[in-house]
Amino acid sequence: MIEKDMNQVKADPKAHKGMENKKPLMRPNAAKKKAKKTAGTIIAYLALIILAVIWLYPIVWIILHSFREEYIDGFYRGIIVSNYFPNHYGLETYRRLFTEYQAGTYTFLFFDVQVGIFVKWFYNTLIVAIASFFISTVLQLSVAYVMSKIKFEKRKLFLNLAIILGLFPGFMSMIAVYFVLKALGLTQTLFALVLVYSAGAGLGFYIAKGFFDIIPNSLVEAAKIDGATNAQIFGKIILPISKPIIIYTALMTFIGPWMDFIFARVILGADKREIHTVAIGLFDMIYGEHADINNFTIFAAGSVMVAIPIVALFLSLQKYYVEGVTSGSVKG
Amino acid sequence: MKKLLALTFMILLAFVFVGCSDAPATTTEGVFTGEKTLPPDVEQDTIVIWVGEEVQEFYQGKANEYIEQYDADPTNQYLFPHEIEIRAADTGTAAGVFLDDPSAGPDVLTVAHDNLGRLTGGTSPAIYPIISPDLIAQIEEQNPESFLDVIKADFEGDTYTFGVPYEAQALILYYNKAYLTEEDVQTWEGIWSVASENEVRATTVTGTDGFNNSFLVLASYADTGEMPVEIYRGGELSNTEFVNDGAISVMKWGQRFFSDPYGVDQGSDSGWEVDLDNEQTLSVIGGAWHFNAAQAALGDDLGVAVLPTFTITEDDAYGSVDAGTVMQSGTFADTKMFVINKRSEHLIYLEDILLFLTHKDVQEESFLENGTLPAYKNALSEFDGMDGDDIKTQLAIAQIAMFEHGIPQPFGIDARFNFYYYQKQGPELLYEMLTEAEEFNTDALIIERMQRIENIWTNTTTE
Amino acid sequence: MQENNQDMNQSFLSKLIEGFLSFFKGIYLFFRSVPKKLVRFGHFLKDKCKGFLERWKDSNLGTKLSHFIMGSGNIYHKQYIKGLLFLAIQVGFLVVFFTNPVVGRSVTNHPVLGPIVVDPGTPIGYKSLGNLITLGTNEGSLFTSADNSMLMLLFGVLMVVMIILFIATWLANIKSSYKAQVDMAKGKKPTTIKEDIKALFDSKFHVLLLTPTIIGVSLFTIIPTIFMILIAFTDYGKGVVAGSDLFNWVGFDNFAAVFESDSEIGQRFLPVLGWTLTWAFFATFSNYIAGILLALLINKYEIRLKKMWRTIFVLTIALPQFITLLAVRSLISELGPFNQMLLNLGILEQPMAFLGQADSATTARISVLVINLWIGIPYTMLMTSGILMNVPKDTYEAAQIDGATKFQAFRHITVPYIVFVTTPYLITSFIGNITSFNIIYLLTAGDPGVPGNYAGKTDLLVTWLFELTIEQGDYNVGSVIAIFTFIITATATLLTYRHSKAYKEEDTFQ
Repeated sequence: MIEKDMNQVKADPKAHKGMENKKPLMRPNAAKKKAKKTAGTIIAYLALIILAVIWLYPIVWIILHSFREEYIDGFYRGIIVSNYFPNHYGLETYRRLFTEYQAGTYTFLFFDVQVGIFVKWFYNTLIVAIASFFISTVLQLSVAYVMSKIKFEKRKLFLNLAIILGLFPGFMSMIAVYFVLKALGLTQTLFALVLVYSAGAGLGFYIAKGFFDIIPNSLVEAAKIDGATNAQIFGKIILPISKPIIIYTALMTFIGPWMDFIFARVILGADKREIHTVAIGLFDMIYGEHADINNFTIFAAGSVMVAIPIVALFLSLQKYYVEGVTSGSVKG
Repeated sequence: MKKLLALTFMILLAFVFVGCSDAPATTTEGVFTGEKTLPPDVEQDTIVIWVGEEVQEFYQGKANEYIEQYDADPTNQYLFPHEIEIRAADTGTAAGVFLDDPSAGPDVLTVAHDNLGRLTGGTSPAIYPIISPDLIAQIEEQNPESFLDVIKADFEGDTYTFGVPYEAQALILYYNKAYLTEEDVQTWEGIWSVASENEVRATTVTGTDGFNNSFLVLASYADTGEMPVEIYRGGELSNTEFVNDGAISVMKWGQRFFSDPYGVDQGSDSGWEVDLDNEQTLSVIGGAWHFNAAQAALGDDLGVAVLPTFTITEDDAYGSVDAGTVMQSGTFADTKMFVINKRSEHLIYLEDILLFLTHKDVQEESFLENGTLPAYKNALSEFDGMDGDDIKTQLAIAQIAMFEHGIPQPFGIDARFNFYYYQKQGPELLYEMLTEAEEFNTDALIIERMQRIENIWTNTTTE
Repeated sequence: MQENNQDMNQSFLSKLIEGFLSFFKGIYLFFRSVPKKLVRFGHFLKDKCKGFLERWKDSNLGTKLSHFIMGSGNIYHKQYIKGLLFLAIQVGFLVVFFTNPVVGRSVTNHPVLGPIVVDPGTPIGYKSLGNLITLGTNEGSLFTSADNSMLMLLFGVLMVVMIILFIATWLANIKSSYKAQVDMAKGKKPTTIKEDIKALFDSKFHVLLLTPTIIGVSLFTIIPTIFMILIAFTDYGKGVVAGSDLFNWVGFDNFAAVFESDSEIGQRFLPVLGWTLTWAFFATFSNYIAGILLALLINKYEIRLKKMWRTIFVLTIALPQFITLLAVRSLISELGPFNQMLLNLGILEQPMAFLGQADSATTARISVLVINLWIGIPYTMLMTSGILMNVPKDTYEAAQIDGATKFQAFRHITVPYIVFVTTPYLITSFIGNITSFNIIYLLTAGDPGVPGNYAGKTDLLVTWLFELTIEQGDYNVGSVIAIFTFIITATATLLTYRHSKAYKEEDTFQ
């Protein structure tokens, strides 16, 4: 970008003081500069390649080992091994993940299917993610809009309160939340999990608020003069132009349930494995007290299955994600 | 004549009718035959029992069998009104999960016996004592003395039985047959020398907790079988001694073993199974739950043995202990037992169910099907399949043999005793002393640390 | 130009010093202003009371009645539905308050004792208030359970909140009746329920949008947080099982223990706090600077496929942390591929443990910070990339006209612009790093450990708190640590955030 500007400027002799009108032949300095630039570019590319390898190193490792199929004297070998590249590839691990690991008859909507428990975990997490992203997005955008565009009494108070509440460590209240749910009779249900994820969503409104702040107030005022109600302004004017932030918020709140392994476990309980989410399930495979390390490859396969939808979503919506992050941070 | 015939026929017919009728009436007192119904005024519910993951399916089958048996039993007037659901719950953490919210817990759960203290602590225990005389009789009959001591707890001066044991586990040695022969693994020195030759580690412990250092703490004299250490003998706080000549010698030997790069240590942070796989360690001190990973690491080269003996040398001997004394590695032997949730609504049925599920025949079946180690005291001599050659049988036999050299963890007898394990980090302090030989390089320092641990055991509240 | 450079350097240093001074000044001013604020609050209350009495005197029959029977004022003014709603709330509350429904009751048919009540349950109603003070009195026995002190505390808090809400509703009921009365006096018709609902979409739109969040947050954040703060003042700690043991209020004992050297928390609190702040500082700045550099690298040169490069780095954000961190943990373990590579390259002679089993705490800490770079740089990089794309072009052109070289343009335009825009992010990132949990927990779980203690050498306040609360059940100590963490982050936030330009100019951005 800067080079382009420079070229533009160079082409206009009047804009560039002190630059003599020379014939466009290769000046001695220009050649050196060009060589320097190409050298610089090559170094930059090299640096990027090295960094990219470093960044992808662990991820590729997990993916490779999820495709590992090794046996030792007839026994399936799923433990962590010390070589980076597996000695033998195969789909056995995925087969075990989908059909053998803790297999049982699980209910999906109205069907009872005999599958490995991972499929049920995936299904549970999907439901929770969809429900909570929907509710969370509505709540978060509502609060952000109110904080940004509606000047009401006690606005500063709410703003400060929200900041203060956000500073408490989250799992400090986890035990109490469990018992609040219990008093409501909701423990060990996925519905409770959705509630917990969505209820606090309203507090995370800053980035959305930053986005709404950029929308000029004149737009709102003009609409008011035309006689629109606040609700109409929000629904018909603001929301249609807020697509980036809506998608950003939806993306962030959709991904949350796939990654959280602390809260979900406390609320869902440890024994009813068929209502667990993938995060708890995968975590238990490796970190539980008597977890079987021979399940490492199955863990890797499960991780890959979880990663695919999330990464796909992320990549397709990356543009909105970047916009959301930048606009939010512009205002802070 | 016709009238007589007709009358006889009528009487015969009447007899046939009466005899064939499906009367659910009691024919004799207390015996019910014929069609049964569900008991009145009882709402159908589910009885939930937690067991370990590996036996969940098996016990579900057994529970269904129990219901069938119950229904068919003529002494029961009604059908069994509830369903029994066996759920898998990690037995190591079950007690903690249960105590977080006892009213949401199962009717019966499986815990390792050392959790007993936590479960019966406080002014109001979270679990129920066993009161059915049949069940108590079966428990007393089937289990070895050592288990009977640890499934009972005191409450306000009286002793009650709280747990119903059905499985057991002890530590054994997994070793790499490609390097070690059966003779090598009989002594630690044997393994040690092979390891030194190959410049690898002799053995690995899988953690720093008391279970892992019990091979030293509970070492016994090979000739007499007595242990130098006393921990809450007979359930008495005062019957505890750690600082004595025998134990000090063992600890010094242990420190030597831990300090040697070819001796014993924790697994690398890749995991002990990776160490085994890469032949960085020749053996592992582990339990049945490590079996799958050990097999995946070594395959057919996996061998199982009783923990080896070791010899006190002149460097280690202290006080009245002679150099050359042979010690046998010890172990904490755990039993897994069923305990009853005090807040269960189906108390009336539970003890009978447990009577069935923990019977020695069921334990034998479980051993044959799942390879679990039974708690039954005569399992080695009476059960089928105890003379097999396959690795799983060897695993069971080795564990049973280790029971001779170990004791069940006594820390669950009283909630206060848990301090060593769960709260004051005694095992970590011991581990520090064993591994930091430069810091603990004099006898006095070693004894000081051992005294501190003994104080945790006896005071339970301060160091 | 040279002078400008010096100016910039000087002003940066003096800005730093200024920052420190203003931090302490801020604390001092805050405490000095407390009595003034109390006096103002006192006046505020007095005015409110006066207003209340005046309104009472001014009320007509309906409004006066609504002081005793909620909703009657509305019904008097022919706002039937509203009135019935208020009445229903009053009835509901009073019913719960006086009948004390119980939660968690269990009865069983004991084989010997017959039907017994094992657990009478915990009431919620006026009894909860008494229970809040005593925290249970029944100790239970072998066959019956003790009072559940924890539920009593929780329900006590719930009850207090319900009473506050009830009083607020009561006042609202009076206000609405009074408003209707005033409207009628002016000749206007009191608002019907339809009009009220319509207003929710217009003048009271903010009420509609905020209410669900307020309810959710109160129930799932505020009440639990108050509850956990109160736990810090009890002896609900190690070994105490709710329902099997009673616990009691102990005042500030737990807080005092932080400063005693022989309690576990006293011994480890300052070291853990020190490491937490160090970690936050290094983690934030290293990510920040490295992220900006990386963004500039991708953005600046003649690099093709910028998007592809960015995507590669963004992958670590997209994947769940417990997967990526576990992968890294296994990867750099002693027998893992990474050590293997170092051995092959001759950098190491023996495999080295980098994390929990490292020989020195410093190795573990540095490793954790480096891995944190791996996780954190993509965020900063993305954000900076976005900002760079929005740099106003005219500033650059003006600089070229003035004869600036590319490098000077970079130093004096790009850098300050990025710094200005991302300063709020830097602050929030610092505060966030104080409470960053996943990285430490998944990589080292606090190890290398300190024997005899639960806080290891890489433990942050939050991971220590987690271990104490969830894994050890030492709730009161955990709460104390959480409160201290909060005080630290709150102080830092309020002071820096308030003084930052972004907050001050928040309303004037337009």
